[in-house]
Amino acid sequence: MATQRKNVWAFRFTTLSLVLIPVAVGINYVGKLFASALKLPLWLDSIGTVLAGMLAGPWIGAISGAVNNIIFGITADPVSFWYLITSIVIGLLVGYLAMTGWIRDFPRAVVLGLIVALAAAIVSTPINVFLWEGTTGNIWGDGLYTILRNGGTPIWIASFIDELVVDLLDKVATVVISFLIFKALPQRLTGLFAGQDQVERL
Amino acid sequence: MQFTLFVPGDSWMHRLDPMSKVLLTVIGLVCTFLLPGHLAPALLLAASLVLLASAGVLRRSTAVFAGVSLIAVTFFVVQGLVYAGNQHPALAIGPVTFYREGLLLGLRLTLRLYNILASSLILILTNRPSDLVESLMRRGLPSRFGYVIIAVLQIIPTMVEASARITDAQRSRGMETEGSLWVRLRAFIPLMGPLVTSSLIATEERALALEVRGFASNRRLTFLHEESIPGYAWPVRIAALAVLALGIAGRVMLS
Repeated sequence: MATQRKNVWAFRFTTLSLVLIPVAVGINYVGKLFASALKLPLWLDSIGTVLAGMLAGPWIGAISGAVNNIIFGITADPVSFWYLITSIVIGLLVGYLAMTGWIRDFPRAVVLGLIVALAAAIVSTPINVFLWEGTTGNIWGDGLYTILRNGGTPIWIASFIDELVVDLLDKVATVVISFLIFKALPQRLTGLFAGQDQVERL
Repeated sequence: MQFTLFVPGDSWMHRLDPMSKVLLTVIGLVCTFLLPGHLAPALLLAASLVLLASAGVLRRSTAVFAGVSLIAVTFFVVQGLVYAGNQHPALAIGPVTFYREGLLLGLRLTLRLYNILASSLILILTNRPSDLVESLMRRGLPSRFGYVIIAVLQIIPTMVEASARITDAQRSRGMETEGSLWVRLRAFIPLMGPLVTSSLIATEERALALEVRGFASNRRLTFLHEESIPGYAWPVRIAALAVLALGIAGRVMLS
């Protein structure tokens, strides 16, 4: 249903797509809340960004990611501001790949999750090296980092692996959960954001 | 339901205009990376703490600081063990040896972490987020973007309430929220799905309501409140810029 559009990168800043952005940020927040309420060993704090990308394309996905980290940066979690680019890349990548057929079926969605995890780790690594000499603050990842550095692995590679083990499960789960929710949405809703401009014509 | 850390109050810092507070925070962040060694960053941290204390938000700041103390501990442990420049053993506990150079790097990173937090908290704790957005809109932030940010601040408490309702509803239908990891993971979808669907349906209504009220209009906007900038805003800004200049001068002279 998503591949019928000609230009994936076209800007579609309708009122409807702008209103989607705050909802995406809210979904991110509630996702994190549910994950901690269920005591899951995952963050699941970017489901909204991923869904915004799937629903309305790369630009709205990217803006949702940016707004998410800006808002939490200026209200609750100062460090999140520094990982702005990571969120933007997640929204952009999911938006683009979703529009080009990567959420057609379940196996592809898993691969999409792996791609997102890899991209998130690639983008976050320079930030981790710049800010904290490569550690991530996650006990398991940092433990691995210590072992790798002790064995003589270069700082960038150790830091990348540190970030990747943290991101891998989380991002795959995030994308798969978003995919399952997306597939269960009524077609009227998914069509609404995919640029059929129903609201504008009223 | 409050998800921001903002502490309402009437201190001089609370009355200061948002843009001056942004300036203080940005200069604090720049100095965090500008100042070399250990003493200068420690002094910067002390200065930020004095500002936070004068605004009456030190207690809330301490809670935030305590929340990340584990990260600070990992800095000392990881760098003390495996920092590339490690030469002089400082401390041996059983089979593991911590090195002086790595521990000093851990101290630098810890000061960096707390400086980033303290500088940001000046803005976060004393500034109502919507005031900052309004200030930015007066200075040219597109009003649609301003709406998006203000809408997030309003929508999150609403969605958190909805999430509590959905949790109760699904529990009453027999959904299990405790047990093995798989059980808990499976519970995530029936919780999240209805929330996503209902909030997406609400966006359609909200978009219509906004359109009807001229959201897409390109006319110049007026503001409900007058902007108030206290008389001491400029002295504060100049003092902050002087600190920045001092920091840059110190950095240049030392290198």
